[in-house]
Amino acid sequence: MKRILSFWKRGDSFILITAGGLLFSIFMVVLIVGIIMVKGLGFFWPSDIELFQLKNGERFLGQVWDTEQARLTDKNGKVRIVNQTNIKIGNRDIYGRDFVWINNDDIVKKSTPKNGVEFERWEYGNMYGFIKSFTPVSSKDRINKDNFFSEAQKSLKKALALKSQIEEKQNAINKLLTPLSKLQTEISLSEINKTRSKAEIENLRKQEEGIKNSISAKLELLQSELLKLKEENAGIKMTIVTADGKSVTLPLYKFVRFFRPNQMSVMEKAGFYLTKVWEFLTEDPRESNTEGGVFPAIFGTVLMVILMSIAVVPFGVLAALYLNEYAKQGFIVRMIRLAIANLAGVPSIVFGIFGLGFFVYILGGTIDRLFFSSTLPEPTFGTGGILWASLTLALLTLPVVVVATEEGILAVPKANKEGSLALGSTKWQMIRKIVLPNAMPGILTGVILAISRGAGEVAPLMITGVVKLAPSLPLDGTFPFIHLERKFMHLGFHIYDVGFQSPNVEAALPMVYTTALLLIVIVVALNLLAIYMRNNLKKKYKTSTF
Amino acid sequence: MNVDIGNAVRKNEEAETSEERIVLETKDLNFYYTPEVKTLKNINISIPEKKVTAFIGPSGCGKSTLLRCFNRMNDLIPGVKLEGKIEIDGQDIYSPEVNLEDLRKKVGMVFQKSNPFPMDIWENVAFGPKVNGVTDKVELEELVVSSLKQADLWREVKDRLKTSALDLSGGQQQRLCIARALANKPEIILMDEPASALDPISTNKIEETIEELRANYTIIIVTHNMQQAARVSDYTAFLMTGDLVEFNSTSTLFTNPDEKLTEDYITGRFG
Repeated sequence: MKRILSFWKRGDSFILITAGGLLFSIFMVVLIVGIIMVKGLGFFWPSDIELFQLKNGERFLGQVWDTEQARLTDKNGKVRIVNQTNIKIGNRDIYGRDFVWINNDDIVKKSTPKNGVEFERWEYGNMYGFIKSFTPVSSKDRINKDNFFSEAQKSLKKALALKSQIEEKQNAINKLLTPLSKLQTEISLSEINKTRSKAEIENLRKQEEGIKNSISAKLELLQSELLKLKEENAGIKMTIVTADGKSVTLPLYKFVRFFRPNQMSVMEKAGFYLTKVWEFLTEDPRESNTEGGVFPAIFGTVLMVILMSIAVVPFGVLAALYLNEYAKQGFIVRMIRLAIANLAGVPSIVFGIFGLGFFVYILGGTIDRLFFSSTLPEPTFGTGGILWASLTLALLTLPVVVVATEEGILAVPKANKEGSLALGSTKWQMIRKIVLPNAMPGILTGVILAISRGAGEVAPLMITGVVKLAPSLPLDGTFPFIHLERKFMHLGFHIYDVGFQSPNVEAALPMVYTTALLLIVIVVALNLLAIYMRNNLKKKYKTSTF
Repeated sequence: MNVDIGNAVRKNEEAETSEERIVLETKDLNFYYTPEVKTLKNINISIPEKKVTAFIGPSGCGKSTLLRCFNRMNDLIPGVKLEGKIEIDGQDIYSPEVNLEDLRKKVGMVFQKSNPFPMDIWENVAFGPKVNGVTDKVELEELVVSSLKQADLWREVKDRLKTSALDLSGGQQQRLCIARALANKPEIILMDEPASALDPISTNKIEETIEELRANYTIIIVTHNMQQAARVSDYTAFLMTGDLVEFNSTSTLFTNPDEKLTEDYITGRFG
């Protein structure tokens, strides 16, 4: 009995219990990051294309996606367990599906054909098959067995070059038409809203005619050039044979790239992997976000976090300063502190609704009425946008910054504050020269926490400005360069959208993991930046050891 | 112990004879931390100019409180109340027209625990002049150098003015705080047990510094070390439980006190 008592007294068991608690926490973190990394990092690796021949004569060409054990019940009610394989067969426009489950027992023959080609397309997902023929760039007789594939790549290059030329022409035409369409909207708006007299409208109509006449020659020329380019590009074609022998002929500009993973060495695959990662980080999404890159989402996330920090830090710091330095400590201040702490526990969607009601409708609506009345009823600021989303998140993270800053201020030695006052400084001079610099590490801790919280938040953004696909970035080359009223994309919402709103969830699933991994990496990077800054400051303002 | 004090006192005997001007005077000063707790009771004391005056007394007697009344540092504590008058050069420092910053510039303070700011040495010394509006670089530089010299720190730090003040030793930090107070060109310097946290050698250094400063500044020093009071001060005030028991020239107070209570305290019968 005595021994048991002393065992508890010494607290040896608590070493184990606390260590166990830590171990469990670490395990959970490693588990979630591990799963995300394993699933997310493999997405871009070009795995081999396999050809499956089944008992019933069916042939499938594609990549093994998943394997599973299934319980099947036959006619007699007998249960048997079979191994099944999920194959990504692509060719959605031909088969009407991307994936097929086959029983491993049904496989007669499995091979990795050397000439199997994976085609990435701008639309309709991947294609798997063999190249039969294509429109060559150079003369036909120069093509032989050895350079067949590389010549096909050349044709693709040509088709893609033409495609971008076509886009350029299209842009030039649009640019030419912009003043005209602007004028036309103005005319129709002033007709609807009756803001202009008939004579004025007549005048505008005359202007419209003038513009039409002045651009017509150039427009015709551009349009004919465009048509010619389109015709030329439609002529560059490729015929592909699928696994079950069907021939499909497609214009080459429909492809992003094609490659033969079965013939690639590990080094080639690694190079391909890096290309794909780069594309993921820098390109726009395609195919309702299930393919291509996430650059607009990265951009939107980072810009939103920066705007949020710019908004939240001054307010949070000022509030904390007043609470600690100026306010008379007592019941009211205690209540305010309690309210701020509780604000951190309010569900984020509530902040979102507040943001929608206050920022978007009241503030945005007022701004529209005052400064953008000419474009009403089309809203400018009176609809969700990156500014309102950032401000909503700033409100959401305000308690974190206030509490952390308060802790930083409290950590400033009283002796230093008294020393400053005793030297004849005013209270404000003391705050500026002694309190703020010393509280800086605490403030930055608040910023770190705010960034972590803000970057991962999705719910309030969904109603204050995030969209599935934003037509343009909030920052670009047209005046005034930063467009705070624009809607934006966000990695957190992207994960939700691709994972749960996508028409092709199975194919998009790896993208979800990859995007999640990217979001974690970005949050860690932003935090490391803030931590680096804080450590530098801590070194500078280490407190007196004496 | 008595012999020690006697020797120290004899050194200061010359100082007593000269003509003196009163720079700081309290009239019927009462001080309350809370309405119930009267910390200072009816204090009337006249501090002579350019002399060192020591406040001694047992812990909690109110000597530090009295000192902090002179530059109104007690204003920072909520709920305090002060009755009576404190006049510096004939001006009541608690009257509304007194500018607090100007007062604290005139009445510098050195704290018990050295409190250098987390900045470099130069910035520490220049802090006071800067917040009081000195912007001229040459003037600042002169102030910093002369203050450090007066505080007897210049030789030790002249090559490292741009290093952190927190890297200095405890004694050096305290002398830096003295230099920082001097940079404001104060008339009066309040020292609240400036050597109580220092080793004997550093304490000695501080006392030497005070010795050099006495010619130009009025110094009021709170100490619980009676030998120190005897060594450095011209006048000594003995306080107990908020009362000013005796204020006399140091030699008189330590050798031939008027009050029985003082004699009991300095001979170590209590306290």
